[in-house]
Amino acid sequence: MGYYDFGYFRPSVPRRVKGGIKAQSKNGSFGENWWAKRWIDTLESFNIGARLVRGRRYARSGQVLSIEIVKGCVTSEVQGSRMTPYHVEIHLRPFTSGAWKRFVDALIAQPYYMAILMNGRIPDEIEEVFKIAKLSMFPAKMNDLKTTCSCPDWSNPCKHIAAVYYLLGEEFDRNPFLIFTLRGIEQKALLSLVHKNAPARQDTENAGRKVKRKSHSVRTALPTDPDSFWGKSDARHDFLGEIAVPETHAALPKRLGNFPFWRGEKIFIDTLAAMYEEASEAGFDIVAGDFGGNEEKPDARIYQHKTG
Amino acid sequence: MILEAFRDHRSRLQKGEFNSQEKKSQSSMILFHISNYENRPVLWAERSADEQVKKTTSGKQTRRSNKSKIFPYDAGEDGLQLLHQRWSDAIPPIGCTSKVVAWLPSLAGRRGGKNNGSLASSALIQPQPVSVLKTHIMPWQVTVSELSWNDLVHLLCFCEDKSTPVPGILIGPDIVFWKDAMRFAGSLCAREQFLPGIRAENKSFQAQWQPVFLGEDKERYAFLMNVIPPVVHALTGLDQESPPKTVRKDLLTQIVTGFMDYLIRSSISADRSMSRQNFTERAADHDILHDQWLNALRTSDGELHGKAKVLAKLVQQVEEYRQPLDRLSASPYRLCFRLHEPPDLQSAGNDALPVQQAGRKADDEAWRVEYLLQQHDDKSLLLPVSQLWNTKNVLPSKSADSGAREFLLSSLGQAAGLSPDVEESLKHSSPSGYVLDIVRAHEFLTQTSLIFDQAGFGVFLPAWWTRKGTKLRPAVHANVKSPSMQASGSLSLDTIVNFNWNIALGDEVLTREELDYLARLKAPLVKLRGQWVELNAEEIRAAIEFWKKQPTESVSVREIIRMKLGSGAPVHGLQFSGVTASGWIGELMQKLEGGAAYEEISPPSKFSGELRPYQVRGYSWMTYLKSWGLGACLADDMGLGKTVQTLALILRDWNSENRRPVLLVCPASVVNNWRKEASRFTPDLPVMVHHGADRKKGKAFNDEVSKHAIVVSTYALLHRDQKHLQEVDWGGIVLDESQNIKNSETKQSRSARALKAGYRLALTGTPVENHVGDLWSLMEFLNPGFLGTHAEFKRKFFVPIHAGTDPNAAVRLRSMTGPFILRRLKTDKSIISDLPEKMEMKTYCTLTKEQASLYASVLKDIEDRIGSSDGIERKGLILATLSKLKQVCNHPAHFLGDNSSVPGRSGKVTRLSEMVEEIIDAGEKALVFTQFAEMGGILKKHLQETFGREIFFLHGAVPIKQRSQMVDRFQNERNASPVFILSLKAGGTGLNLTQGNHVFHFDRWWNPAVENQATDRAFRIGQTKNVHVYKFICAGTLEDKIDEMIERKKGIADKIVGAGEGWLTELSNKELKELFMLRKDMVGE
Repeated sequence: MGYYDFGYFRPSVPRRVKGGIKAQSKNGSFGENWWAKRWIDTLESFNIGARLVRGRRYARSGQVLSIEIVKGCVTSEVQGSRMTPYHVEIHLRPFTSGAWKRFVDALIAQPYYMAILMNGRIPDEIEEVFKIAKLSMFPAKMNDLKTTCSCPDWSNPCKHIAAVYYLLGEEFDRNPFLIFTLRGIEQKALLSLVHKNAPARQDTENAGRKVKRKSHSVRTALPTDPDSFWGKSDARHDFLGEIAVPETHAALPKRLGNFPFWRGEKIFIDTLAAMYEEASEAGFDIVAGDFGGNEEKPDARIYQHKTG
Repeated sequence: MILEAFRDHRSRLQKGEFNSQEKKSQSSMILFHISNYENRPVLWAERSADEQVKKTTSGKQTRRSNKSKIFPYDAGEDGLQLLHQRWSDAIPPIGCTSKVVAWLPSLAGRRGGKNNGSLASSALIQPQPVSVLKTHIMPWQVTVSELSWNDLVHLLCFCEDKSTPVPGILIGPDIVFWKDAMRFAGSLCAREQFLPGIRAENKSFQAQWQPVFLGEDKERYAFLMNVIPPVVHALTGLDQESPPKTVRKDLLTQIVTGFMDYLIRSSISADRSMSRQNFTERAADHDILHDQWLNALRTSDGELHGKAKVLAKLVQQVEEYRQPLDRLSASPYRLCFRLHEPPDLQSAGNDALPVQQAGRKADDEAWRVEYLLQQHDDKSLLLPVSQLWNTKNVLPSKSADSGAREFLLSSLGQAAGLSPDVEESLKHSSPSGYVLDIVRAHEFLTQTSLIFDQAGFGVFLPAWWTRKGTKLRPAVHANVKSPSMQASGSLSLDTIVNFNWNIALGDEVLTREELDYLARLKAPLVKLRGQWVELNAEEIRAAIEFWKKQPTESVSVREIIRMKLGSGAPVHGLQFSGVTASGWIGELMQKLEGGAAYEEISPPSKFSGELRPYQVRGYSWMTYLKSWGLGACLADDMGLGKTVQTLALILRDWNSENRRPVLLVCPASVVNNWRKEASRFTPDLPVMVHHGADRKKGKAFNDEVSKHAIVVSTYALLHRDQKHLQEVDWGGIVLDESQNIKNSETKQSRSARALKAGYRLALTGTPVENHVGDLWSLMEFLNPGFLGTHAEFKRKFFVPIHAGTDPNAAVRLRSMTGPFILRRLKTDKSIISDLPEKMEMKTYCTLTKEQASLYASVLKDIEDRIGSSDGIERKGLILATLSKLKQVCNHPAHFLGDNSSVPGRSGKVTRLSEMVEEIIDAGEKALVFTQFAEMGGILKKHLQETFGREIFFLHGAVPIKQRSQMVDRFQNERNASPVFILSLKAGGTGLNLTQGNHVFHFDRWWNPAVENQATDRAFRIGQTKNVHVYKFICAGTLEDKIDEMIERKKGIADKIVGAGEGWLTELSNKELKELFMLRKDMVGE
């Protein structure tokens, strides 16, 4: 999966990597939300000195080749100075199902937290809910966190672990439910817990989807009546309505946030915003239609791209 | 001997001496479709019966596992090539074609017949069988050509509302759907409702732009899905056994995605940016998967390279990424926000300064945003969110509402990401909305609501709010004072006048104190006299600055009129609300805007004829505008007499001291009509025709022009003789059929604008105001500069009107152009009462050069022979010659009988086509009578090819059953056959055709009784409209002279002519020669 650069070798300098996971923040802190900050704070409280700085650099230059998250466990490959990437694992102690039940009970009492949770965000006060349930959301002590790395560094956490840790922090911005995953419960399972009496959320959702897909996939046969077969060329009312060209661009991708574990050299959102702006103009030209007789038609411009 | 003459004619024809482009017959019609085949659009076509049969049989029957036969109407590869040749602007070159199966409605149980029960889509391809029996779907082989999205978009942009873009081509009825789908895709692009994605198919992966359907787009989607013509999904491969069944939803998604992916890709094409940026990287450089993906979104094929497993994982990532949006868009609900203004506290004391009174309160009133759930399938069902929280248990899982509640929570959470207010509201129990102060209410109106809207939420705003702000806003008002009409001396639009600016709210002028007060308020919204007004701090400051300067400006009256009519353009940063004027300027403006009546003036002396009351009004209106040097466009319906009104105007000028020639430009086909009409209504006006090869030039031209009142010329010469025409100081220029300059870029439009003239007048029978794109060119000719530059016009009017972005643009444009366009319809109440129920008029047509040459050869032949013949032989010769000359007048192809091409070779046919076009535009119907069945056939074919509509032709050989079917359909189906062609013999009596209210006598029988009887097919009980009767006469030919003869001896005409044409044989050789002779000056080019 990774891509290696077989350039000249120099010890203590990590091998340059193309296509690694790159932090989207060029400087400053990783992740913008408080929970991401809380996560990073935990790491930085370990007091491992310059390894933090190097870990940050690794995270920004894309040394981390892969991250995989399953319940309670993160596994990662980090390219260091050796040929073979190092293997990093981070384990968080998962909550028991009884603990989760306590949490959900506390949560249900305050439904508006749900609104935010259901959309992949975590309300600021969620920690209060954890507290009510007598739980700690973030690894508070060394005991909660188990980290390993295959590098020769005696320190734990080492810079490789730190790099992965930072990237996870950034990822929490996009998907805060990772914290839940790390604590041993998937988002869907959590939500299905909320619907205590209902069957597991996952099942209902899938069932619903199937039904929906079925109802939408009605296959239409051809009508035998020539009148309806060929279509009607009568003019129809303008169904497009008013067309407001947006002033800010790429609102939809902005709403969805950064792409998970983006590895590109280009900044995802910025690149898209420029594309959206140009596309918006081209779309508008098509709707506005041509202008009088033989004048330059808007489509002609598009046509030339390919031919010219 | 006569044959020799034709041989001569033919050789001249071949040498290209006559200006008709294509002599080869192109009789077959081609009707094209676009269908979906294997997830891509393909082009295929039907071709009318006469020619295609031999062609298609040459195609080999390939595999036939579904027993499909070759579709008899398939255009085949040749037909597709011909389609490209005929319309190469729009149809791309035909590359690779292939045979597929089209599953089409066919006649059951007619397998033995010639066409095996196949049915074409249009009667123009295959005359409909008398009765369509039960139909069922059968497979037919057709030839398709691949169409790239690029080609498709290009083609669709050329497909306008007409069904025949060029003669001989018909646009299939399915194209409307494709255009709508394209425009839908365009609107989604414009509003940025799309996301980057990946298309995975057969282990190949392409980056692809994909639409997102939120809010109202879901309804548009559903609407389009229901109107997909089945023919779009009727194609399959040759080996499919049964008719296809299609998931229309998927089909539409695929089509919209195809359009969008193409539109976006081409607008951000990597090839294009390469030159201006350092995009030196190639696809191979993008070995980072994510970069490769981003880059592939702008390459032409979008291909992604790499291991399938890796790519499949990326596909999954992309799906997860967009899942929150997909979930929202799949829901049956929609979250809506409604802004409530503070409850209206009864404000006492209307006497107080309204500004102060309202301003004090506005701050502390509470505005409120309410959350509502709306159901997609019943939009009237709006459920206040507060009702959903009522139950004790907050999330009861078994309640019927649980779906709604879950959706509500989820959407509120998403909205919280867009608005901190929503987020804040969620921290309280049972959130059903939030309260906001006036500043944030204003922010909600101007910003948040737009963001919500774009994100697919519903937004309800108070009625006083428009996209551009409150309806009422402070605006600048110009105040012009001028003396009354009598007091001032010589007035013109170039007079310079002073005016003051005022600042007003609605009708009320604001004082300095009030303005100062408003500036201090710093509230974005204030309530004045019960109405909310948006105040922009900068605007108010600008207003005060303005006040300080107390600007008095001086401009020409012309400028004032522009300001008045074109109100809306901001002045010094402030909205401009209009002009108030007193005195003569006020009077002038009132008249222009239609608020005051024009003084009606009586027709000029020496005008021989009567003007009907509405014609007097039209003539007075033109005279009034002319007196101010303003250009006018008379756009009366055909048949209301634009010609007489114009002649009256010209005569009035000629009667005055200042005699200057008027240039009258018209299509060649009506040159003689003008000459004839002028000699009838204004015999005193010397008319000169500047037309034909031997027209005068240079000094001779100038000398000649100075002796005439009217110089009739044609559009073609406008440019060719521009040099000569420009040297004359014209009294006026009249453009007849002014749609000829609708395109401002053509040479003739530029030449028309370049001429110097005292006044400008345009005549047209088409509804000018409906063709927004054409208005600029017309107005630029009439009143240069009034609508701004072409680019400004495009930005301010054309694009907003077409794209629907500014509902007021059309209103503004109308108010700006209205004063200069007078259009009256025959159906207007005030007109109908002025019109007789039946109006007969002679329509003079001009022979083409080719017709004239044929005419001369026929004459030469009879001259040689008549001297040596007598008795029966002489009679026969005369009648035969008469018939031949009439054929020549009708059309060369009629006379030659050689099935040669029709367009551009006959003055009559050209004129008829022009008039029929106007009739079709007006939604009316016409009858055309001819005494020659051959000519009827030629006309039928020609009109069908020109207008793409089926045209009925009733003649002796049509079986009775079919005749009554034609009559029934003509009478009862609005869209059936806008023109009914009838042979005088078969259709001149008995039928009831009252749906037609235009009657053409294409050639003449010289027997009023017969003609009247034919006219009475339309003019009879049951006719609800006024009937117009046009008698076609070729000027300068025997038709013209016989008509004159009859007119001269009107009283005895019936007696002489009553029996038909036999009386002609009694004339002496000399008289005959006189009668048949062609007046050369009446011949066209």
